[in-house]
This record gives sequence, structure tokens and C-alpha cells, in this order.
Amino acid sequence: MYSLLIKQFFLSKTVWLAFGILMFLGVLSISTGKQFLEHQTKAVQKTITHQKKHLETQKKYHKDDIAYLTYYLKFAFINPVDALSGISIGQSDLNSHIQSVNIVALEGQKHNTDLINPMRLQVGNLDMSFLIIFLFPLIIIALNFNILSEEEETGTWKMITIQAQSAFKYLVTKLFIRFVFVFIALNLLFILAKLVMEIPFSTNFWSIVIMSYLYLIFWFALCFFVILLRKSSSTNAIVLLASWLLLVVFIPVLVSNYISNKYPVEEAFSMVIKQRDAYHEKWDTDKKETLKRFYKRYPHLETYGYPTEGFTWLWYYGMQQLGDDDSQPEREAMYNKIKKREAASKKIARFFPPLQLQLSMNEIAKTSLTNHIEFLNATTKFHEDIRLDLYPKIFEERHPSTVDFDKYKPEFFKPKTHFSLLKNIVPLVLISSFLIGFALFKNLKTFK
Amino acid sequence: MTYNVVVLIAKQFFKKAFFNKGLFVLLTLFILALTYVTINGWQAFEAHDHSTDSHQDEQRESWESNPDKHPHRMAHFGSFVFRQQHPLSIFDSGIENYTGNTIFLEAHKQNTANFSEASLSTGLVRFGDLNIALLLQLILPLIIFFIGYGAITSEKENGTLKVMYLQGTTMKQIILGKSLGLFFVTALFFIPALIALWSIMFVEVHTLNAEVFLRSVLISISYILFFLILCSITVIISAKSKNSNKALLSLLGAWLLFFIIIPKTAQVIGNYLYPNKSKIEFTATIEDEVIKQGDSHNPDDVHFKKLRDSVLKAHNVKNVNDLPFNYSGFLMSKGEETSAKIYANEHNILINTYKKQNSITNGLVMFNPYLAIKNVSMGLSGTDFHTYTNFLTQTENFRYKQSQFMNELQMKFISNSAKGSEGKVHVIKKEYWQSFPKFQYEYLTISQTLKHHFIGIIGLVAWLLLMLFIITNFSNRFKII
Repeated sequence: MYSLLIKQFFLSKTVWLAFGILMFLGVLSISTGKQFLEHQTKAVQKTITHQKKHLETQKKYHKDDIAYLTYYLKFAFINPVDALSGISIGQSDLNSHIQSVNIVALEGQKHNTDLINPMRLQVGNLDMSFLIIFLFPLIIIALNFNILSEEEETGTWKMITIQAQSAFKYLVTKLFIRFVFVFIALNLLFILAKLVMEIPFSTNFWSIVIMSYLYLIFWFALCFFVILLRKSSSTNAIVLLASWLLLVVFIPVLVSNYISNKYPVEEAFSMVIKQRDAYHEKWDTDKKETLKRFYKRYPHLETYGYPTEGFTWLWYYGMQQLGDDDSQPEREAMYNKIKKREAASKKIARFFPPLQLQLSMNEIAKTSLTNHIEFLNATTKFHEDIRLDLYPKIFEERHPSTVDFDKYKPEFFKPKTHFSLLKNIVPLVLISSFLIGFALFKNLKTFK
Repeated sequence: MTYNVVVLIAKQFFKKAFFNKGLFVLLTLFILALTYVTINGWQAFEAHDHSTDSHQDEQRESWESNPDKHPHRMAHFGSFVFRQQHPLSIFDSGIENYTGNTIFLEAHKQNTANFSEASLSTGLVRFGDLNIALLLQLILPLIIFFIGYGAITSEKENGTLKVMYLQGTTMKQIILGKSLGLFFVTALFFIPALIALWSIMFVEVHTLNAEVFLRSVLISISYILFFLILCSITVIISAKSKNSNKALLSLLGAWLLFFIIIPKTAQVIGNYLYPNKSKIEFTATIEDEVIKQGDSHNPDDVHFKKLRDSVLKAHNVKNVNDLPFNYSGFLMSKGEETSAKIYANEHNILINTYKKQNSITNGLVMFNPYLAIKNVSMGLSGTDFHTYTNFLTQTENFRYKQSQFMNELQMKFISNSAKGSEGKVHVIKKEYWQSFPKFQYEYLTISQTLKHHFIGIIGLVAWLLLMLFIITNFSNRFKII
């Protein structure tokens, strides 16, 4: 029976078409990921060589003036891309992963964006996560929607109920063949992706694979559920397609829209104004007051005293720092909003597998918003370390030749993942088992 | 006679569509979604507009309230521009979510436009944007396919097509009539959406209502063309198919191909063929170019040394301090001039690369009515690529003017003995920068937009003509049984 069923399955044109589409788009999506990774790696290399060149040029320009030299110098901080981000590009294409900062106030610099075509961003990436979330369900629907109804419509079902040992087993076998087929296609793509993008077999890789499996199982469960409602083929098609449209297109858009309107991040605007104003007003206010506040922040610098006559770099960097410090409340308000957005997204996503899978994949691949915010926070730390290292040299007016500038090489951020596989598996498993359980329960009498 | 038959068939199709209760459910759901999207979009727009305005005013107030100071301090104080949204973005938000909302304009330095909505959002934002255009461009076509896939096949299956044919109705009349009937049913869906579009005229904002009016007219016409095309495609495919199931499958396949796969693939291929410079390469190129052409920040720069010598000669003095104007102001204005030119050049190259990336998509506009309506709709709603690049050009022009304004003030009023911009010694009255005009954002005019999207409109018209051509010339070849 197996071999006949398999033969029958492969005789269908839909199967080959589905396989063709999956493989074509699969290759395209893997090359998209590969291109993304290459682009980022190239940018990192370019950053390293550029910083060296930049350092040389500036050292030549300001041979004897450490203050001007350090004022113009830029230091790079890099968020390295994980190979997995080729599978789920997430938000990492629109958030810059390389920071190149001066030692002046940071807040005006660190939110600078990367250069990307907004049209591309709007259309979205054709990466593997898109393929899995968007297209695999359609293929599953196309392969499964009529496996029972077609037999009923052509009259073969009655024969099966009479002749087969168990009609239920027959149905499950049919479903299982499709299941194996889809998983073979998915695994082929994962293997190809692993080889092309040189992804190591890490826990993270397996987490993405497991999450994808569970997601596809959810769609099989949904198909199983609809099939066992025993409606006509066209009804099944319409019900399943409508669920797809709702789950993959409409609800995600609705949720995303709801979240951005519920938590508008206006604080970003207030923050930038505050940062500018707070720094610039110090040019016209009491110098001693500025220095006092600067020393309060960094007590060990107080040895440089309170010069109030004319322009001093000490005062200048004090003013810059206060610009950042004074805009702290606005900044915190902004990050709080972002945190709320994240929490709300995660909370709602638990109920909708496509949303959950997308967020999980981004989290595993470290291409989520959280990851970017952590990078921004690390940038603040990086910036502070360099500042504190350079301040004494500037304030003591050391000669540039006495300072080892070559040690300032681009540094790398070490991203962490907060992904908990268990927490993310539970909702998916629950939803799928509910669907299967309900379908079986309803049909207890039919299949013995 | 012909006309009457067509109208009769159309009317009959329209009436029959309502035998199906599903249509009522669908219509109700659609209108509910539409209402939610419109009200929501309207509120979000007003909130955003209010926030943009109040922050724009706030930053200007603090600009004006600066005490008397050295003009170069003001050149660095700079201005912020918070990008206004076109009211029609309620209808079609286009690339709005992905474009920077605020840009800081200061001397010597071109900053990026930052804080796009998407950059502050979680990965969910990448599923798409909710607006009226989404309902009209992606969802309504599917509804049309669902309502119309059986237009001809069901007549075939019932055997009624033969009867109609024997009574003297031609296939051409049947297809025209059914398409028209389907279009009437579609009208029940899109007319409320167009009413929502027209209501945007009553939003109180900076743009002229007449302008919004004209844009709305053009948008409405484009969508009507789009739906006429879709309705005739649906009926033609139904006529060509053996049975209803096949018709539905073909239509769904076409939807997936034309609405999802082709647009994505086209953009991916465009980016693949024409990669753009990364930020670091972009800044490095500009830096190199500035060094080559003359860096006013380099004390030993050859170009600026030459410049100094020629200026000294022209004024017949030996030392820059004896010049009748502030030399460092002059130097900065020259430096700004060169660096702005270099930046503009690089920026143009970048924008042109983006345009090339988009060219694959734009080239497909003639072959894919969805891409045509998408581009036309975005353009007319003031949320397309061209509107955004135009915004960037305007801000850069403003930045340049602002910096040069301050440099001129410095040349005119600051003595050459000034060593820096610190303190209350070398200052000018605040009335000077208070007199500097505010940034005024001008949208692309309708004619400019139409120029960019002319091919899209031609595409829509061409498709409609093609459909009519197929119906009038080939419909008699379609099988009746």
C-alpha cells in the first residue's frame, strides 16, 4: 500500500510544482542570506583597514596637537554578524551593526543609520525565515487540503472504508507521505544553507531547526483538523487559505500596527533636542558649575582643577558629557517604550505561530531589536572606556608621539542570546496538540 | 442590442452573487477591517503630525532663544528637521515606516536621517504595514478571485453556458457582462475604501486640500483601472479553465506569483546586481576625496594654502589678520563648499545605485499590474522613494544655507583677532539667527510624481486594453463545453 500511495503522490503535478518552487526560492533565499553575510563581513574588514588609515592621516595632520588629533579621531565598535543571521536577517539590515564614534557626546552619533535602500526594506528580505513562515504553509495546504475530500468526491473513499484494514491508518499514511516530503525539502534547504553560509552545528542552529519543524507541524495539524471537518475540497481550500491569509498576512500586520500605535516612541525626538540643547547651553553658563558636575561623574579627574579662563578642552569635554547626561531621562523613557514594544510583541506572538517563529528566529540569530539595543548600550561603555583613557592625555597636553595610538583597533561586541527553547516550544506544541486532539475526538466514531 | 445583453448578464451576475451568504460575511468583515484601519490610520497620523509639529517648534524656539554668541557656535548648534508625513499616508504608507524621521543639520557634517519607525520596532514590523492600500492591493484581489473564479466555469458545469450560446449570446458578450458584473460586486468593496480615501481631505494639515483632492482623484482612477483589469482577468481565466477548481487554483497561483514572489524576487535581484556602498565605505570615500581636493581642517593642506596666498595677494596684505573679513569664517565657507560638493556627488551616486536596485521592479511594472498600482499609489500618496530622496535633498540644501549663513556672519562681524568662539567677547546679536528662515518642507508636485510613475499608469492602461483586446478578439475561441 505504501509504495502505491507514494507513487500516486508523485504522479501529481502539484507535488513537482511545489517542490520546484521551494527549491528555486530556497536557493534564492540562501543566496540572499549569503549576500547579506558577505556584505557585512566586507564592511567589517573595510572598517578595520579604514580605521588604520584614518589614524595615520589624522596623526600626520595633528602631529603636535593631541587635543585636535583626538577630537577628529573615530573609533569603531562592531557588532559581528552571526552566520545564522543569513537564515533570519530580521532587523539587522536596518540597524547599523558598525559604530564609528568620536569622543564627543555619544548620543548624537550612536543612532546614525546604515545606508540601505528603503524600497528594499519595505519589500522585505527573501531569507529562509520568510520562506519557512510564508511559503511552506502554502505548500502544506496545497498538498493536503483534499486528501480526504477528493476520495469522497470521486467515490473512492467508500471502497477504502470497506477494503482497507483501517481507513484512519490509510489517511494517516497519506498525510505522513506528505509530511516526509515536506520535511525532506526543508532539510535539504537547511543542509544547503549550512554549507553555503558555513553555519556550525551549534545549539542555536538546532534551535532554529526545531522551531521550524514545530511550526510546520502546526500547519500539518491545522490541515488535519480542517480535513477531518469532512467538508468539500473547495471549502477546505477556502478555509485553509483564509487561515493562512489571516495568520501570515493579516494578523501580523495588525499586531505590529497595534503595537506601534499603542507605544509611539516620541521620546526619540525629545531626546535628540534635549541632548543638543543641554550641551550647547553650557557654552553660556558658569564654567565652574559645568566642571563640578563633570567631576561628580568622574571624581578621579578632579585633580585637573577649575580653570575658568578662556577655552579649555577639559571644560569642552565636560560640556559634551553633560549633554549626554542631561538627556538621560528622555533616553530612558525611549528605551522603556522600546522595552514595552518588545514585551507586547512577545506576549501576543505566543498565540500566533508565524509571529512566534519570526521573533524566535531573530532572537536566535541575534538579529532582533533587543540585540541591537544591547549593542547600543555596549557602545556607550566602549565610548566611555576610550574617553576615560584619552582624557588625562588630552588634559595634560601630552605630545601625540608619547601615546600609543595604534592600540586603538576596532573592537567587537559579544552578543548574547536570551532565547529559551523550552519557553518557545510550549505554545507551539500546545496549539498543535489541541488541533490534532480535537480533530481526533470529533471523529472517534468514524475511525475505529 | 449588444449593449443590452452585456448589461443584462452583468446585472444577473451581480444579483446571483448575493445568493451566496458568504459574500455578506466577507463584505462585512472587509468593511469592519477598513473602518478600523481608517480610524486607526487617521489617529496615528494626527498623533505623529502633532508630535512632529510640536518638536519642530520646540527645536526652533531653542534655536531662537540662544543668547548672543559667536556665529560658529550657532553653526554647530544646528537645526533638527522632523519629517512631516503626507496626509495621504493614511491611505498608503508606502516606505514611510522605513525612512528616517529626524535629521540633524549642522556645519561641516551631513548626518543621516534617523529613528525610522522600523528601527524602533520588533521583527514583527517586517510582516508589512497596515493601511487602506494593503486591503485594496493584496486582500481585495483575492476576494475578487474568490467571487469570480466560477463566473464561467459554473455555467459550464450547470450546462447553462450552452443554452446561452444557443440563444444567440456570443462568448464575447458573456465575458464582458460577467466582468462588468464582477466589477459591480467589487465596487461594493472598493467604494467604501475610496470614501475613506476622500475623507482624508478633511484632515487639517499644512498641505493644500486642493492638492490632496487632485491626488485622490488620480488614485481613485488608478485603482478603478486596477480592479477592472483584475475582474476581466478573473473571468477570462474562468472561461479558459476546464472546471471551477482549476480556475481557482490558477488564480491563486497567479496571486502568489504576481503579488508576492515576483515583487520580492525583483527587489532581491536588483540588490544583488547593484550592491550599494556600506556606510563605512561611503564615509571613507568622502574622506579620501576631501583630502584630495582640499581639507580645510588640515593646517598644511596644499589647496587651502594656495587659496590663502591668492586671497592675501588680492587684498594686498601679508597676514590673514589684516584682511578686511574674518579669515577663518572665509576658510570654513570654502571648506563647506568643497565638502558639500563632494558629499552631494557621493550621495547622488548612492541614490542612483538605489534607483538601479529598484529598476528591476520598475521594469516589471508593464508586466505586473500589482507593481504598477503599488508604485502609482505610493507616489501619489507622497510616500514613495522619490518623495523621500527629495526630502533628503531639501534638508541638505537647508543645511548648506544655514552653515554658509553663519560663515558669512562670521566673516562680516567677527574680528580676525578672535582666537575661538568661546566666551562673551566675539559675539553677535541673536536677532541675526532669529532672522534665518525656518525649514519649509515642500512635497514633490503632482506633475513631478506623475513623471516618475508615468510608466505605471501606462502599464495599467495597457493591461486594460490588452484584456479588452483578448475579450473582443479571442473569446470566440474559448470552449463552451
